[in-house]
Amino acid sequence: MTSADTVNVVPADGPDLVRVLAADGTFAPTPAAEPYLDLIEALTEADLETFYRDMAVVRAFDRQATNLQRQGHLALWPPSLGQEAAQVGSARALRPQDHVFPSYREHVVCRIRGVDLIDIIRVMRGVSHGGWDPTDPANGNTHIYTLVLGSQTLHATGYAMGLAFDGRSGTGDPDRDEAVIVYYGDGASSQGDVHEAMVFANSFRTPEVFFLQNNQWAISVPVRTQSPAPLHRRAAGYGMPSVQVDGNDVIASYAVTRRALEEARGGAGPRAIEAMTYRMGAHTTSDDPTKYRTDDEESAWARRDPVARMEAYLRSRGASDAFFADVDAEAAAYAEDIRVRTVALGGIEADGMFAHVYSEPHPLMEQERAWLAEYEASFGEEQA
Amino acid sequence: MSELTSMPMGKALTAGLRAAMERDDHVVLMGEDIGPLGGVFRITEGLQAEFGPRRVIDTPLAESGIVGTAIGLAMAGFRPVCEIQFDGFVYPAFDQITSQLAKLTSRTEGALRMPVVIRIPYGGHIGAIEHHQESPEAYFTHTPGLRVVSPSTPNDAYWMIQDAIASDDPVIFFEPKSRYWPKGEVDFSDRALPLHASRIVRRGTDVTLVGHGAMVATLLQAAALAEAEGVSAEVVDLRSLSPVDYGPILDSVRRTGRMVYAQEAPGFTSLGSEIAATVMEQAFYALEAPVLRVSGFDVPFPPANLEGVYLPDPDRILEAVDRALAY
Amino acid sequence: MSSQTFHLPDVGEGLTEAEIVQWRVAPGDTVAVNDVLVEIETAKSLVELPSPFAGTVGELLVDEGVTVEVGAPIIVIADAEGTEAPAPAGADAPGAEGSGAVLVGYGAAGEVASRRRKPARRPAVSAAGVVAKPPVRKLARDLGIDLSAVAPTGEGGEVTRDDVMRHASQASVFRNIETPEWPEVREERIPVAPEVAASAVAPPIQEPSTSPRVAPGAASGREETIPVKGVRKATSSAMVRSAYSAPHVSVWTDVDATRTMELVKRLKASPDFADVKVSPLLIVARAVIWAVRRTPMVNAAWVDLEDGSAEIRLRHYVNLGIAAATPRGLLVPNIKDAQNLNMRELAHALQNLTLTAREGRTTPADQQGGTITITNIGVFGMDAGTPIINPGESGIIAFGAIRQKPWVVDGEVRPRWVTTVSGSFDHRVIDGDGMSRFVADVAAVLEEPALLLD
Repeated sequence: MTSADTVNVVPADGPDLVRVLAADGTFAPTPAAEPYLDLIEALTEADLETFYRDMAVVRAFDRQATNLQRQGHLALWPPSLGQEAAQVGSARALRPQDHVFPSYREHVVCRIRGVDLIDIIRVMRGVSHGGWDPTDPANGNTHIYTLVLGSQTLHATGYAMGLAFDGRSGTGDPDRDEAVIVYYGDGASSQGDVHEAMVFANSFRTPEVFFLQNNQWAISVPVRTQSPAPLHRRAAGYGMPSVQVDGNDVIASYAVTRRALEEARGGAGPRAIEAMTYRMGAHTTSDDPTKYRTDDEESAWARRDPVARMEAYLRSRGASDAFFADVDAEAAAYAEDIRVRTVALGGIEADGMFAHVYSEPHPLMEQERAWLAEYEASFGEEQA
Repeated sequence: MSELTSMPMGKALTAGLRAAMERDDHVVLMGEDIGPLGGVFRITEGLQAEFGPRRVIDTPLAESGIVGTAIGLAMAGFRPVCEIQFDGFVYPAFDQITSQLAKLTSRTEGALRMPVVIRIPYGGHIGAIEHHQESPEAYFTHTPGLRVVSPSTPNDAYWMIQDAIASDDPVIFFEPKSRYWPKGEVDFSDRALPLHASRIVRRGTDVTLVGHGAMVATLLQAAALAEAEGVSAEVVDLRSLSPVDYGPILDSVRRTGRMVYAQEAPGFTSLGSEIAATVMEQAFYALEAPVLRVSGFDVPFPPANLEGVYLPDPDRILEAVDRALAY
Repeated sequence: MSSQTFHLPDVGEGLTEAEIVQWRVAPGDTVAVNDVLVEIETAKSLVELPSPFAGTVGELLVDEGVTVEVGAPIIVIADAEGTEAPAPAGADAPGAEGSGAVLVGYGAAGEVASRRRKPARRPAVSAAGVVAKPPVRKLARDLGIDLSAVAPTGEGGEVTRDDVMRHASQASVFRNIETPEWPEVREERIPVAPEVAASAVAPPIQEPSTSPRVAPGAASGREETIPVKGVRKATSSAMVRSAYSAPHVSVWTDVDATRTMELVKRLKASPDFADVKVSPLLIVARAVIWAVRRTPMVNAAWVDLEDGSAEIRLRHYVNLGIAAATPRGLLVPNIKDAQNLNMRELAHALQNLTLTAREGRTTPADQQGGTITITNIGVFGMDAGTPIINPGESGIIAFGAIRQKPWVVDGEVRPRWVTTVSGSFDHRVIDGDGMSRFVADVAAVLEEPALLLD
């Protein structure tokens, strides 16, 4: 494919786009960013460094996981490469009591909330479907990945309804009021469940933020097939405010999410954010982007890389080489640790299949588990 | 001492729902038109007035949304009871039921419980238009992770709805809509049977008739007619479609040696087929005849004008009985 | 530290092979974990493979441009550190050949060469009551057999098809008619009512003259004259006497004698019978003796008394006559008290009788006192006949040829050894049902020699 064939290189900025960091890392707020400057100015140097560190470490993790798949250790890996800023910014906007409903690519969101990323590895290695226990407080109220596109938006909405019913939100105390954020993508936004989730959310005025990462591609289908109009404009149709943000700007992503969450938890109803970003890697390791997008496009977006952008910004604020070296070392160590732990992962017992299909005892489970045990044992008895 | 009250199944369900809601304030009802209208079959009549709109919730018109948000509510500690307005309208929710509701407990290795009940009025005999007389039980009995039940009497309805709500597992609760209005005795003092038990409701010696929901009444009619012809039929009410309680069925077949399963649903790859295969496997040496099935034809449910032809009636059941006895 | 081999993984969820496009390293290169080793092309895309090991490149095992299967070894790294992905569980199964070495490629497995050992067969679960498969139940019902009376021999306690068949044959063997023992008294005389005796008067017997009227010297050309004398004369007289005094009725039946043929074969092979001829006639002889016990009247004789009355002399012993064609003519020597002989003794007696007759040494005493006779017309190739009763007897059995004929067995037409048992009887002494029962009994033994164990 040549660049003449593609329209979708880098979309032009819309009038509503919130950005504070330009692609080259200079601080250049767009008009739409004005209302958020107070939040941004409240960020400390440590906060900014944390944003960068989060992005760099997960990028190393993501590259390691991709390599592990190429080495036969994982069946599949969906890379988050290129979407670090949208995810770090939004995750860092959450309060501890909030609830997260990811799709299946929000690796750094999970990490920030406390999930051990080896649990994502376990899913991709085929030894677990869910990976981690969403009810364990150590996992920061992070629900497991949902592979059926868009389904989690209904679960998130139902959960948020429950918060509202139980008075766990909207009391006016932001340290206690709980909110829900749900992540989904441009492809999923076409699913009926997403529409229904927004209908229910607005009917019941849920304390909920719909966070759409528009990474421009649903496997090989460009976003213009999902919608010719900007996706964040749909929200108005449901009666909820929305904002479009440059998802490769971690600071802007933080700010818009923070505001949306505070409004939602305060009882103002659900909010929607569209984060414009780019899936710099393939959809998963089974995919081949060379078949449907151009080098030109990928290069153009590489020049808007969120991590490089933040590095440039931090350097402009005086961050030292030592700092970046330290981050690189941490990232490398983290990735190495993931490798070590991945290759050490064991298998699962066959009779585990029956253990948790139901919460209560079930005769067919007992029967089939016993049959399988007896069947396997029968081979052991007949040694030649 | 039992207190027996005669009431229709619909009212028994209302009473059961009320009892469950009084018992646990996190039981919430959700569905279309269940608030002031009380549901198109009036099953939730009066409940919103009693418990308020936060516990009896009129939802937007979106079945997938109803079940999907119920899943979220269950995650947040609620026990949602969803009403799907008619059997033929459950399909938009099929993905949420099969991909999510049925699997979240095993997907999270037991961490998440899904105490969600989905009530579905089902079956024919009411002369309704298309999509309002379906029998989709098999889609759900075929899905691991779900429990599926269907009461045939007001008494069973009263107790089974409460047990379903109390279960930590997702329960698809099929309500035979043609049995909503006929009355029966409800014993408010004694549960008598667990949720997943089957029951012999008529004793006999020559053949075992098995069915669920509205079919049980038809089987009893067929048994009475058979008796007049000198054939003694035993009738078993399945009650629980998944899991199936085979105990009473096998006990019966071992005594009679012959069995007929009757169902409104189309026969091909139906629940009756599964039960027939299992009974033949478990009671092979006791069988004098193969297990026979009387089912709806394998066609979309026809216009109501033909429902009398389509649905198994006592004559169709007795025809199968005759065949079984001829072996 | 040692060498490690990297096997081609399944990089795309179910791929089975890939082409080595370009090696990015050469033997001797130092590599770190995750350094790109090679570019491969799969059915889905071009993919770079990172090294799972740190070390020195040892050997490149596949040339560029070559396609190899998932799981094939592609490169050896010497002094290697690092771990390769383990094979999936399925690859350990005996006989499994497959892409094996790829881990999570649980996908594309090769064919399984052989089945894991078969577990021991568990006996069928027995249910309450009679345990029998539906086809066996049908068979029992068709044969009129009560399954609960059948002894089951199946592994799980079930009644098998063979059990039913065995029960059926035994049931027909031991029919309700009991076979009485031989009475103590050797002969009973049964008076015949005068009116019966009167109606049974035979017309005068035309004794043939001792010599035919023949013109001497007329024997030549169109007609030959054979004088009747000696044995032929005696035989003819006897036949006339018999034929014209005893009202002869013949009955016959066809029977599947395959089991008799099998028994004869076994007896022939038995050491006990090594020194004696065994033929189906032996079985017939035993059958007749047995059948006599059950229908004693065939072993009786009608005797006209001088005062015009008659009596039936019922003998409780069998002097079994065997019609023998000898050089001198038809003789009927008999085996005295044949009922006391066991199978071997009877075989010897038959052999002696036959040899003696063939050698012309049969004495008159041998021929006197017979009580019932067998004539073997099968040796002439005949199936059945209406033989003449030996005077002084009331029944004669004709034993036909045994040959392969179509017979219905278990609902199918099969070749079996079939013979006809026919007999003539003195209707003054025995009625139709008696003679039929007798012939049927003889035939029954031919069909199921085990009846002789009665």
